[in-house]
Amino acid sequence: MSDQVATAAKPAPILSRHDPRYEVTMYRYVGVEGAHTLDFYRSHGGYEAARKALTSMTPAQVIDEVKASGLRGRGGAGFPTGVKWSFMAPPDGKPRYLVCNADESEPGSFKDRYIMEDDPHQLVEGMIIGAYAMQMTFGFLYVRGEYYLGTTRMEAAIAEARAAGLLGKNILGSDFSFDITVHRGAGAYICGEETALMNSLEGLRANPRLKPPFPAAAGMYGRPTTINNVTSLTSSVHIINRGAAWFASMGTDDSKGTKLYQISGPVARTGVYEMPMGATFRELIYDFAGGPTMEPKAFIPGGSSTPMFPWEDRFLDMPMDYGTLAKNGSMLGTGGVIVIPRDKCIVDALYNLVRFYAHESCGKCTPCREGVGHWLPRMYQKLVSGLGRPEDVALLESVASNIKGNAFCPLADACIGPVQASLKWFRDEYEYLAANGKSKYAKNDWWQA
Amino acid sequence: MNETHTHTQTPFFADKQEKLAEILSRYPADGRRSALMPLLWEVQREERYVSEERMRELAEIVGTTATEVKGVMSFYSTYHDQPVGTFHIQVCSTLSCALAGSDELFDFLSNELGIVNGETTADGRFSLQKVECVGSCGTAPVVQVNDTYYERVGRGRCRHLVDALRQGELPPVWRERGGDTVGAAKAEPVKQPTDRGEG
Repeated sequence: MSDQVATAAKPAPILSRHDPRYEVTMYRYVGVEGAHTLDFYRSHGGYEAARKALTSMTPAQVIDEVKASGLRGRGGAGFPTGVKWSFMAPPDGKPRYLVCNADESEPGSFKDRYIMEDDPHQLVEGMIIGAYAMQMTFGFLYVRGEYYLGTTRMEAAIAEARAAGLLGKNILGSDFSFDITVHRGAGAYICGEETALMNSLEGLRANPRLKPPFPAAAGMYGRPTTINNVTSLTSSVHIINRGAAWFASMGTDDSKGTKLYQISGPVARTGVYEMPMGATFRELIYDFAGGPTMEPKAFIPGGSSTPMFPWEDRFLDMPMDYGTLAKNGSMLGTGGVIVIPRDKCIVDALYNLVRFYAHESCGKCTPCREGVGHWLPRMYQKLVSGLGRPEDVALLESVASNIKGNAFCPLADACIGPVQASLKWFRDEYEYLAANGKSKYAKNDWWQA
Repeated sequence: MNETHTHTQTPFFADKQEKLAEILSRYPADGRRSALMPLLWEVQREERYVSEERMRELAEIVGTTATEVKGVMSFYSTYHDQPVGTFHIQVCSTLSCALAGSDELFDFLSNELGIVNGETTADGRFSLQKVECVGSCGTAPVVQVNDTYYERVGRGRCRHLVDALRQGELPPVWRERGGDTVGAAKAEPVKQPTDRGEG
């Protein structure tokens, strides 16, 4: 990127999908019949980025390009991908592993699933590029156990790619060799945490590991390892194809490129939408998803772990980028927006989420095992079933703040953030329920015909 | 557990040595234990659960103890140590599905089948289970039967699904992705830019 160029000559960044310069790339062929085959993929420009990287770029040049693009990890944490790639020590002739995290389990997230089902070669190509950049000797694709169709499509794509010389020895005639094993998970949210995922891949219970050592130093089987999300890797395909400057021409100061956002809950057209980073929640919710179908009161911005916002203009008009969300006390997360209607009791909605985290707590550390796994769901159950006392709201708050920041891995905080946000914005619903033994909003039957 | 212990059972992989070798070959030589999860899947797909006998066999294959194998199995939600029904019906109950009526859907199935969460019908045909988010939030509510997703299961579709399963068959899936997932040609705004302040 040429920062020296006078700012006047620099075109304005693309911040909306309405911008005529914007083009859907990662999600272009999802939903197109037959797009999952190698023939289709290659006839639509597939594997050209891998060819370019492997035959005309050095590994360091690939890393530099990804760094310059500004791509940040799409799994939720948002760590710069190129920087992460540069943490790997130089090759020493021993095994080193690329792991793709496709354990997509964050409620409200379903972007990786459709990539794997409908455009699996895009992910294979992304893994080849990442592996080449870091000179990995082998790759693992960890797919959550429930994604059976995605798993079979990925296995078929890998077999096709192998048969075509795109995986295996001397890929595309280069001296780079790499192959991929698909590993099927078995239902555990914690496997989205990278060290837990590695334990699962090693055939162990998926408890997280203490960091340091970080995976780049000692990961799979104690060897240098890098773990990337599905769409971090697929983003790299288009960065290599079109150049870092193209990717960086989209988005805000701290969040570049194009991203897959997801929307669920009562809106007209739920689903995945690819948009430039920096587009607003309003653009996603109203222009693409067609707006709420019930009177809304809140939205969760980026998957169930991200603290919610009340339905107010100042929040709907926020750009969906890393910095803005952080500044406003939440996170971009996976970009999975969930709309909550007015008539859903917020305490009941949170009970649902708390129950999820209780179920998924791995049991390794006390604050999470006891606090998230037992105390919180019981306190919520008590409130929701009308047995609460007015002082229970403050007690709930105190338990939550005592768990926060004290657990071994981010799972507990992923539960506490939403609890605290709901108390911040909708404390009246908690107090009403605790005082009256029934919710402000009676349970409705929303099951459609 | 009411399984009968038959120590004379033929080892699961006795006549599947090729498959076993293929699974082991997916992992490096120093990572033999990594094969445990795929081996568990292999057994479960065929036998609908993993018995203690099989746990001992798998332990021997990957070089650990049956207790360790059970420890791994019990960590994950989708391995079963008791047989599940021919049709294992899993109803997602997490927030997006709950907002689309998954509680009511679950109650309907429970009444229809006469079993509660975690149970299997006496004839062994159906198991019913509430599960957490399966990644189908945009097409809620979702019911997973064995490995197949049935999406946007409204009342009519649920009725249809139960009827088909009673006939012993998995009905064809209706594939719904919603959102952008219609190809780039159609992936354009459904509406012109909103005026700020609308809504």
